[in-house]
Amino acid sequence: MNYLILGLTRGSMYALIALGYTLVYGVLQLINFAHSEVFMSGAFGSYAIVHLLVGDGKATPSWAVPFILIAGIVSGALTAAVIAWGLERVAYRPLRKRGAPKLAFLISAIGASFFLSQLAGKLFGRLTSNSFPAFWEQNAVVFKPFGAEVRILQLVIIVSAVAMMIFLDRLVSVTKLGRSIRAISEDAPTAALMGIDIDKTISRTFVIGGLLGGAAGFLFGLNFSFGNTMGFIPGVKAFAAAVLGGIGNIRGAMIGGLLLGIVENLVPVVNIDTRWTDVVAFVVLVLVLMFRPTGILGERLGRAA
Amino acid sequence: MTRPSDLLGRLLACLGGALVVALMWGPQEGNFGDFWFAINQSIFRPRVLVFLALGVVVFLAMTFWPKVIPYLTRPGVWPLAAGTLTVIASQTLMHWADQLGDAKFGTVASAVADTNGISPVASAFFGGLCWAQLVVIILLVGTAVIGGLRNFGWAAAALSVVAAVIAYLAHAAVADKARYLGPDHSLGVYVCIIGYLVLLVAGLVTAMSHQQVANTRLAVNRALGWRPGLPLVVIGAVLGIIAMASSTWFSPANLNSTLADTRSRFRGTGLAPIAVQYLAWLGWALLAVSVVLSGVASYRRIRPLGWAGAAVGWLGVLLTVLTLYRISDLGADKGQDAATGPWQNLGAGGWMACAALFLIGSGGYIAAIAPRYAERTAETDSDAVASGRSASSAFLTAPGAARSGIMIAIAVALFYPPTANGFWQSVLVSEIGIYVLLAVGLNVVVGWAGLLDLGFIAFYAIGSYTTAYLVGSLPVKPPSWLQMSPLLAIPFAVLICLLAGLALGAPTLRLRGDYLAIVTLGFGEIIRIVAVNADQVTNGSQGPSTQVPHPVIDLGPVSITWGLNQLQYWYLLLVFVLVVLLAFRRLEDSRIGRSWAAIREDEVAAQATGINTFRVKLLAFAIGASTSGVAGVFFASQVGFFTPDNFVLNNSILVVAYVVFGGMGSLPGAIAGAALLTWMPEFLKDQVPAADRQMWIGAVVLAMMIFRPGGLLPARRRAVELAGLQPRSTRLEPVAVPAGEGM
Amino acid sequence: MTSTLNDSATSEHPITGGGDTVFDVRDVTLRFGGVTSLNNVSLQMYRGEILAVIGPNGAGKTSLFNSLTGVYTPQEGSIEVRARAGDSPTSVIGLKTHVVNRLGVARTFQNIRLFPALTALENVKVGIETRQKAGPISAMLGLPRQRREERESTEAAYQLLHRVGLERRANDIAGSLAYGEQRRLEIARALGTSPGVILLDEPAAGTNPVEKRELATLIQSINVDDGVSVLLIEHDMKLVMSIAHRIIVLNFGQKIAEGTPEQIQRNPEVVAAYLGTPADEVADLDLSQPELHRIDTGVSLDELVGQSSEAEHGATEHDGGTPR
Repeated sequence: MNYLILGLTRGSMYALIALGYTLVYGVLQLINFAHSEVFMSGAFGSYAIVHLLVGDGKATPSWAVPFILIAGIVSGALTAAVIAWGLERVAYRPLRKRGAPKLAFLISAIGASFFLSQLAGKLFGRLTSNSFPAFWEQNAVVFKPFGAEVRILQLVIIVSAVAMMIFLDRLVSVTKLGRSIRAISEDAPTAALMGIDIDKTISRTFVIGGLLGGAAGFLFGLNFSFGNTMGFIPGVKAFAAAVLGGIGNIRGAMIGGLLLGIVENLVPVVNIDTRWTDVVAFVVLVLVLMFRPTGILGERLGRAA
Repeated sequence: MTRPSDLLGRLLACLGGALVVALMWGPQEGNFGDFWFAINQSIFRPRVLVFLALGVVVFLAMTFWPKVIPYLTRPGVWPLAAGTLTVIASQTLMHWADQLGDAKFGTVASAVADTNGISPVASAFFGGLCWAQLVVIILLVGTAVIGGLRNFGWAAAALSVVAAVIAYLAHAAVADKARYLGPDHSLGVYVCIIGYLVLLVAGLVTAMSHQQVANTRLAVNRALGWRPGLPLVVIGAVLGIIAMASSTWFSPANLNSTLADTRSRFRGTGLAPIAVQYLAWLGWALLAVSVVLSGVASYRRIRPLGWAGAAVGWLGVLLTVLTLYRISDLGADKGQDAATGPWQNLGAGGWMACAALFLIGSGGYIAAIAPRYAERTAETDSDAVASGRSASSAFLTAPGAARSGIMIAIAVALFYPPTANGFWQSVLVSEIGIYVLLAVGLNVVVGWAGLLDLGFIAFYAIGSYTTAYLVGSLPVKPPSWLQMSPLLAIPFAVLICLLAGLALGAPTLRLRGDYLAIVTLGFGEIIRIVAVNADQVTNGSQGPSTQVPHPVIDLGPVSITWGLNQLQYWYLLLVFVLVVLLAFRRLEDSRIGRSWAAIREDEVAAQATGINTFRVKLLAFAIGASTSGVAGVFFASQVGFFTPDNFVLNNSILVVAYVVFGGMGSLPGAIAGAALLTWMPEFLKDQVPAADRQMWIGAVVLAMMIFRPGGLLPARRRAVELAGLQPRSTRLEPVAVPAGEGM
Repeated sequence: MTSTLNDSATSEHPITGGGDTVFDVRDVTLRFGGVTSLNNVSLQMYRGEILAVIGPNGAGKTSLFNSLTGVYTPQEGSIEVRARAGDSPTSVIGLKTHVVNRLGVARTFQNIRLFPALTALENVKVGIETRQKAGPISAMLGLPRQRREERESTEAAYQLLHRVGLERRANDIAGSLAYGEQRRLEIARALGTSPGVILLDEPAAGTNPVEKRELATLIQSINVDDGVSVLLIEHDMKLVMSIAHRIIVLNFGQKIAEGTPEQIQRNPEVVAAYLGTPADEVADLDLSQPELHRIDTGVSLDELVGQSSEAEHGATEHDGGTPR
């Protein structure tokens, strides 16, 4: 049971990041390889704010904790959104205007990813395991369903992730922006003929993906640790999660992320050495793709709603 | 025209960009102890202001772009910019004299200022003449371009030549003065000279521009196509004269002896007659004869004479190499300077002479075969005109130009490595050479078949581990009858990688593009994790337990043992790369290459045309994998010890980046991309803080994709896709989309 | 001119029911989710004939083509093909597209699908070379067999380009060809696979009257000179009526009529399908060719000509621009 909770925690963070991949894939049919750095920047941005608010964290009154958490999520999300927006402007839009081949986007994103992660390292140090100031008892056990221990941080992560996912789901299905995103993911040229501003919508899609990724960055940093190269591995995993659920499909990304997190954490349960966790995760991915070549929920953002 | 909000956005973008560049330029900043302090520290710096000012300049330039643009397209502007940047780079970034330790231009300049009795040319050059002549050239060309004054172009061209000669003499004086401190392998002066030569082109193009030659490309193409082969002969002649007149041929005890010095050193030492003759007169004679033959052949378009020039030039290469062997062998026999065998203590001069003679011979060869394909190009040119295509779409379209480029590349690949120092030799082999092979292999998969493979390094790993197994370096030993030398392992590694490629491809190739990417990525990671964790088989994260031995060829009279120095590996690798290139070139132009292009372009149509897309894709996968296996064998036997860390996911992604950076689907592109991007970190090591290298490379890759999405040397087939001729969107339904409303 | 061609062609190809079938389609039903795009369609195509399939947009014509070539797998029914004389009947159902092509079924696409970055010559060679044998090893080593096959395919490709009048454009990039040229190149590529039957999906769409006339000649020459059966989807009634030996009319996924051009022109159901009115109301309308043509496209011939030449013009202008 404990593993399930751990899996859900990790999975909800994967899901948040995977949403960024899937949203961008939906509108551009491209893998945004630099999304892992968007995620990273979220952790950095939130650290700056949290650090500013609590210092070393020792003297934080307990009433302030929720506000600090919210401030962390918001600042992480905003930082990452700014980075994601800039990324689209610099690494994607010029290529789109030139009608570059698909792989050129991938490579420019990879270049941007190297650049961002190393620039962050240059400016803020290259330690790989920085941690947030200990401003609260994040490992306090809140309740024990079926003998599992649910820690408060895990609860915060799962609840806030689910809240954000529901928000996104509503956003995509009911708002005008959501309709534009879905229209573009169905058929961009036609959407443009229907008067949808493609540039603006794509830009906003990046921003939404950045918001979610940045929030995930904060939660991830709080739960584990953070540094300028933190993005890579969760990025790859989240990308796998997005594919697992059916890339381009929003609900698919959520399910894929949760599933991948749970599978990873169930590995020790079925008596496999944890060294093989990643192998198991990828084997599951390959098996799913063998039988459902377009992921669990198939493709297309449009069908999500 | 431009709305104020756009202008504001542009200004902000310029300032933001300038800030980012300023941050990139700075030293390593703070840490997490105080986050805001780090931010303060990096932002409130004087250099940030400088960059912000530059940002404003860029903003102004962009805003007045429409007024500037007509000038930019005028002939000579781009070479002017490129030459200026090259010269500036050489004078700010590059080393100018290795003897002086940190020998960047400034260091050398101050050392020169402190030195008495150095030649006036050198003291003037390092004392500021270098900048003065650059400025004058820029002014001259600038005036010529803006004012349309052609005579200024001629003046600039002449001055460029003078400037190049001055740079050369100045460096020679410094190197001569400092020769007791050690050998000199610095490249600054050569890069500087190349910069001046580009400026020479700028001057000439401006001077000769007229109506038909509307831009630099056309001018350069015209110049190159004027007499096929002649450019090579000229380059070779200049290089040869430098090599024979003033370069170091033999440098034991840091005594740099030129050709003439070497001759007197070896007088009466029992040097083989052919070498004696070479040093005395044969070298010069070969140079002169081949220059005359090839030069006349290309100028007067006399084919037989071209063959004669080629024969003399290439024979000259052999004789030069033989002479170098004799000299160094005798030097080693005499026990000078702890030389343990031939080929040691040689200066750059001999190899430069080799390159020169090779180029001259190649010039003759190109002149000899020129008429044949001059007709062919004339034919396609008329086709191009008929179809309204512009013939000026690329550089190197002039007859013989591409061949000349290849010949120069071969000359560099053959004769540069011996003159490089040990460090660069090992970079050449273990980075550049091996990654070129990998990139060429991946190019088949990504560039030709259009399949995104993010786990390519896995095959490389499989190749390496197969080798380690077959030579008995893994905990798991092969049966004794199977144990073998690394070179013999190549076919086995190829076979195993081929099988691995098929095993991975068969179930996954039915997946669409991005799904394939993640599955291959997963495969790459699985292979690496298995290598780390399967201790009993692979010795885990330590890598093979005993060293993979160096290959040995022992065929009675011919016996070569690799591993004495990197050069042996380099030439072995070169042979393999050339073989692979020849094979792949043929493949590209065969029915299989065309099938790959077809499925990449339109899979449905390819199927309907009868192509078994699955099989064709699988073939691409298998061929790519086996190439990678060959690289793995080389890697394993060259480094001896390796670990699973050599096969991380990042390396897979980097190889993809090399291929795309160079130009997807183009063999020269893959080579250039891999060579450039593997060279760059090693080069940057001396120029920027080592930890920042990845950042700079990321920036370079990003900039390349933004400004040249097709890559460095785009493939013809890909270039078409880029030029927007892909008719799928608008051009297909001309009736449905009214003119002007297409997307 | 067209009518004489029609007459001669008809006399050479007596339409009989008992001949050798190329396609034998029985009770084929194809559904996508809830949409039935082919409903219980049966048809026979005989060797050597030019069979046209007509019908309003969305009638299931292209779905039929896709079912015949293995792109779609119908849920019900059987499709048997004997593309070349003497073949034994083979079921297409469940076969991969490229296998069907190898059985001798070549096709073109409604929205031209060339390999735009290859030259015209290379496009045709791709078609020819799917019938060749030399493998990667001989290609890499440049073995004699490879060279011979290369030479053969180049020659054959030039001949095919000559047939469709594109030999002067052989070394041009396919994507840079004009619209009508691309259509003809696609036919050449299909012919390159040495088919027994060729399926042409709206070959005349977007071409001007001169090109249409050339196209009619080309199709007839393919049919007569090469002995290739032709299955044709076309909206241009004038073209269809002039070259088709038989016509099948589809509407809403069902076959509503079948017969010679004359019979079809007098079939009230067909007219109803095109006009969207019940059959009995239009039974006694006079149906001359031009009128059918007008009904079908919804624009007058002049308009059509104007449009396509305009498009042509636009395309050429586009090509003429210097590549960036």
